Amino acid sequence: MIKGYAGRVLEVDLSRQEFAFADLDEETARLYIGGKGYGTRLLYDRTAAGIDPLGPENLLIFATGPLNGSVAPQSNRFAVVCKSPLTGGIGNATCGGSFALGMKKAGIDVLVVSGAAPQPVRLEIQGDRDEVRFLDARELWGRGTYDTQKELGKKLYHAVIGPAGENRVLYAGIVSNERIAGRTGVGAVMGSKQLKAVSVGGSRKLDMEDPEKFKAYTKEVRKLFADHPVLGESMKRFGTGAIVNTTNGRNILPTRNFQRGHFDEAVKISGEWVEDHELKGVKTSCIHCPVTCGRDVEVEGKGRVKGPEYETLALLGSNLEIGDIKRVAEWNYHADDLGMDTISLGATLGFAMELHERGMLDVPLSFGSAAGVTEMILDIGHRRGLGDDLADGTMRMSEKYGGKEFAMHVKGLELSAYDPRGSFAQGVEYATTNRGGCHVQGASMYMESTGPLTINPQNLKLKADIPIVQQNLACAINSMVLCIFTTYGMIPKAVHEMRPDSFAHRALVKIFENSGPIFRTVMGLKGNPMMWFEKWLTYITGTKFSAGHLQEIGARIFNLERMYNLREGVTGASDTLPPRILNEPTFDHMDSGHPLPELLPSYYAKRGWDARGVPAPRTLEKLQVRL
Amino acid sequence: MSVTVELTYDMGKELGEHRFELEGVETVAEAVSRARERFGDKAEAFDQLGRLAAVAVNGVLASHRRGAKTRLADGDTVSFVKAAAGG
Repeated sequence: MIKGYAGRVLEVDLSRQEFAFADLDEETARLYIGGKGYGTRLLYDRTAAGIDPLGPENLLIFATGPLNGSVAPQSNRFAVVCKSPLTGGIGNATCGGSFALGMKKAGIDVLVVSGAAPQPVRLEIQGDRDEVRFLDARELWGRGTYDTQKELGKKLYHAVIGPAGENRVLYAGIVSNERIAGRTGVGAVMGSKQLKAVSVGGSRKLDMEDPEKFKAYTKEVRKLFADHPVLGESMKRFGTGAIVNTTNGRNILPTRNFQRGHFDEAVKISGEWVEDHELKGVKTSCIHCPVTCGRDVEVEGKGRVKGPEYETLALLGSNLEIGDIKRVAEWNYHADDLGMDTISLGATLGFAMELHERGMLDVPLSFGSAAGVTEMILDIGHRRGLGDDLADGTMRMSEKYGGKEFAMHVKGLELSAYDPRGSFAQGVEYATTNRGGCHVQGASMYMESTGPLTINPQNLKLKADIPIVQQNLACAINSMVLCIFTTYGMIPKAVHEMRPDSFAHRALVKIFENSGPIFRTVMGLKGNPMMWFEKWLTYITGTKFSAGHLQEIGARIFNLERMYNLREGVTGASDTLPPRILNEPTFDHMDSGHPLPELLPSYYAKRGWDARGVPAPRTLEKLQVRL
Repeated sequence: MSVTVELTYDMGKELGEHRFELEGVETVAEAVSRARERFGDKAEAFDQLGRLAAVAVNGVLASHRRGAKTRLADGDTVSFVKAAAGG
């Protein structure tokens, strides 16, 4: 077995209450690494086209990668892969916490859950004894994610759902500790299988090719991170909310259901504000991560709980025109406890508010008012009253009540908190990403509009290139499985410390902006490992990884996801943006919205796809994507 | 003519206000200069904390328009923005 892998796949059939261990397929691991890549391969191969995402035939795949179980910073994430009930296409999400470590300790790389239990169950997996217990979970059914994990204790590592997953809210997630695999409704799939929790543990250790080099280099990386302006400074001090004031200043902070990109009260929901006014002593992290981007806040009646992340601050804050951090923190708590994605939740609430404003829906929700929001969140999680409709997400709401022109989703997945009208590459990424409108499948905005390389985010230069490179890289990162935040460290400290108005900075930006095909060529070069994640993979597995290798593997995963989508009827026609984003300007120099029609053909061509967004046979062959 | 100025959080915290109006400024250069003057003996802090911030007008970096010479219109928002990463 390749070093870094436990070498085992655990297959669990909930319908029959049977399990079996199988060998990890080495060839698949070489081609797809693990995590999201390995999971996508399994889903493609082992499910039939057109299955019901909430039926027993869907698979729920928990997958780790070779970096999991090591002490590499940001390496304790697992991927969940299934058919998405929200989009009907590829469903996936990654999650921090501690569950990935538990799987590796148990000697399991991948857990494949099939079938559905006749009544609520939970799994308890003791890797050292090769034991899987199917336990009655009726007592836990209905309980929140905090309470459930507390009840399960600390001897094992857990992944659980809350009432939202049980009730098949289409954007329900799976929770580990205080983190969530939030997107695409993976929690609803777990709920459809009547699986309340998976608990796993063991005492196995990760076997590495070169542990000495790994250890010494990891020590260096920790120092590098500690000294980095993003990973060691702003994220450490203010969490992901550090970006609120930046996106607001750049007019890309979703406000009033994306009607605007600027919110006058943004400062009061920013990470800096939380640090000064709400932080309750503890900054939290996933295991082995020195970045500590999480932070505790006080919620009335609940005590000290995990505070909201940037996406939550924006989608449940500015997007609803709420500048009250205490309310956003309270709603974040409820969403976490119910176990649902705050991005889709906030976007759906914003959509409902606009429907109400236009007289299209009788709902007690209004922009700028907190009244009724808590109750609606609880109703969504339990599918009560009108909450039952909102639990189906924005796309389905717009099909029922109208308002498709301002329904903020791509492929059914609600948009994240970077308005693409001020971040054109991010718009291309939203439109083309296989799981739908999400930012962590590339994070192109960091390369054009929020990071230190202040290229013009509103011209066409590099706007088809950046998403390709970033999507490929994200696919590889999500297969190791590493945190996407690691990519924020790729732009060195020296660039961050340049004055934006200095000659050197302006020259660097111009060179980057005009690099054209050179950018992708350089990123595709195969050579020696340079970045920390390439070196870690190399030291752990013994196989050489470089930027070019990761671009190739990432492209392979991305194309396989695309082929899965096409098989399920999610075609290139869905590679678009909401009409509001395409047609309504938010900048005074714009006549219209995002120029996607001008960029999409170039993106397709550079991907090696035809004009309908279908990968050409030679592209698939070159990438070794077997169908 | 009136424009709104928004400072970075650190600048606002140190200087006592995050957001204020300026009357009669016509260019980015004038807005920055008048904002600096506003803080009197804290002008050095204004310079130091604003050193790594770019200036945007209604969300567009001045460097992508005419730099310090970028003309302002009534109701514009001039923002000092830092590079940042979120999630």
